[in-house]
Amino acid sequence: MSGELSPEEQALDCIVAELRAQPAPELDWDRIEARLMNQPHPVARETARGFFTRLAVPAVALLAVAAGVFLFLPRHVATPRVAPKSMAKVVAGPLNGDALALGTHVSSADQSVVVEHAGRARWTLEPHASAAVADAGEFLTVRLESGAISARVTPNPKPETFAVEVGGTRVAVHGTAFRVERVDDRVLVEVTEGVVAVEPTSTHSDPSFLLRRGSRGNFGLDGRTGSVEGNASVVVRDSGRKSRREIARTARPSAAKPETAMPAPSASASPEPAAAPVEAAPLQQEPSISDIESGVSSAVDLMNQCFQEKTQSSSTVSVSTGMTLSIAGDGSVQSVTFEPPLAPAVEDCGVAGLRNLTFARSVEGATFTRVLELKH
Amino acid sequence: MVASLEIGRVFWLAPAPEQRQERPVKAKLSAVTELSELIERCKTGDGIAFREVFRNHRSDVARLVQRMSGRPSDLEDLVQEVFLQVYRSIKDFRGQSRFSTWLYRVTVNVVLMQRRAAKSRPVLHEAPDDAFGADLHELPDDQVARARRVAAFYRLLDRLSDKKRAVFILHELEGMSPSEIAKIVSAPVLTVRTRLFYARRELLALLREEPALEVVAHELRAEVEAEAPLGEREST
Repeated sequence: MSGELSPEEQALDCIVAELRAQPAPELDWDRIEARLMNQPHPVARETARGFFTRLAVPAVALLAVAAGVFLFLPRHVATPRVAPKSMAKVVAGPLNGDALALGTHVSSADQSVVVEHAGRARWTLEPHASAAVADAGEFLTVRLESGAISARVTPNPKPETFAVEVGGTRVAVHGTAFRVERVDDRVLVEVTEGVVAVEPTSTHSDPSFLLRRGSRGNFGLDGRTGSVEGNASVVVRDSGRKSRREIARTARPSAAKPETAMPAPSASASPEPAAAPVEAAPLQQEPSISDIESGVSSAVDLMNQCFQEKTQSSSTVSVSTGMTLSIAGDGSVQSVTFEPPLAPAVEDCGVAGLRNLTFARSVEGATFTRVLELKH
Repeated sequence: MVASLEIGRVFWLAPAPEQRQERPVKAKLSAVTELSELIERCKTGDGIAFREVFRNHRSDVARLVQRMSGRPSDLEDLVQEVFLQVYRSIKDFRGQSRFSTWLYRVTVNVVLMQRRAAKSRPVLHEAPDDAFGADLHELPDDQVARARRVAAFYRLLDRLSDKKRAVFILHELEGMSPSEIAKIVSAPVLTVRTRLFYARRELLALLREEPALEVVAHELRAEVEAEAPLGEREST
């Protein structure tokens, strides 16, 4: 499997580049603006004025009552909305995360700062750390600038409802509890419960690393490279809803990896990667994007074929499952996971075929997940 | 890797992934403050502030509408509809995401609604085979070829489902990250990545059905073969 793009892929990229280079269309902006300004505003203004005029006196009275109530209420009832770009400092008790606007910076001094998003997540900024709210909407995202964050996330049927970004690395929750620390140009991730995905913040086709409970990861700021300690299985631990298949291969003695090398998941029994850098060799750190995509494409085709052959039904059957492939440094597929599991016959067929699939060799190998939509 | 390809009279520069255009970072603090003030004024019905918002963002909206709708005839109406929606619902913008993200979300929703409505209407005439109204008779040959390729590619995009089409355009053409797209289309990042994967895969398959695009792949294939050493060519 070559790392080069196929002519079709090159053609697609060329055409996309052409489209991207096209300038924005020039329209008759004056006409659009005139139509817009003539339509809503006079009505809106008139309505607003009329409304205000009619309700001026009651509104003043209401304001006076509200002011009085505010003065006599205990202070903790009113939770002031923190202004964007302000520095939020907490005296005691958790900070109301839902009141933190986008871009709000939170910093801690000698004590931890706890931020709570009611019913969704609770994150703790450890002492001498700082972070900013990068997304306060449905998918909470905190950008860690220095120090460490521990997070406990309320289980949600939607994945990745909470994420911590550090440089170009994104640590997104799939489970419940984890800790992220920034030490200089490294990102240390520790998972105490559930699963987190570590991936680059930018492109869609990079591999993402799944860290399970008890795993620790040490990643670069680009989200692509790293090492795993302890139980280094970055695919699957035991779970009733998941099915993991080891591809039966003899573990190959891996070359000494650089400090940033992510061991291939199933071959990651060595707890500490060697510190010595790899001898200069024409190997990429990880399989190229195009190699991963074309390999995944073959794997998807294979699974479709297996599903067609092994599903015996006269009616239409469709299933959706997440397939996680772990690729070793020599390009072989080391393990595959189906979550939720497929029928045993389909899995057996898939595993047999995947054994023959080979990616380009690389120093680190890779682990990534794709959702399969299979139809019979 | 930067590939410079010469096909006929057309020179293309295919940028490497790391060189792809990133959207300019507009979120400097002063700009953010200024925009926040404008938005707050818009919420009170301030027409001058709304006009400013319109002028600052109209090109971005028009570009996205053009790419999403693929129909030049509706462009002006759709852009107007987007800003009408912005005016009506700006009070609901709570600053939980960037304004541009919210604006893109409104834009995507307006275009998708229009596309759904268009599907239920009878088609009175087919769209002309040009690229957004360009008069092909007055263009040099290479530009005509490019216009045809663009039109052909929009026909392919039209065959994708709305969901895949939206994420493909937002990622590949607008240069947005999957996490940003996830906020726009209200889907998990994993779902966005999956849609991108399948969109690209479907487009690669459809490419072979469009003569104007297949010829590009054919010429690239020929070029690769021409560059290959003699031994390799013979073995293939």
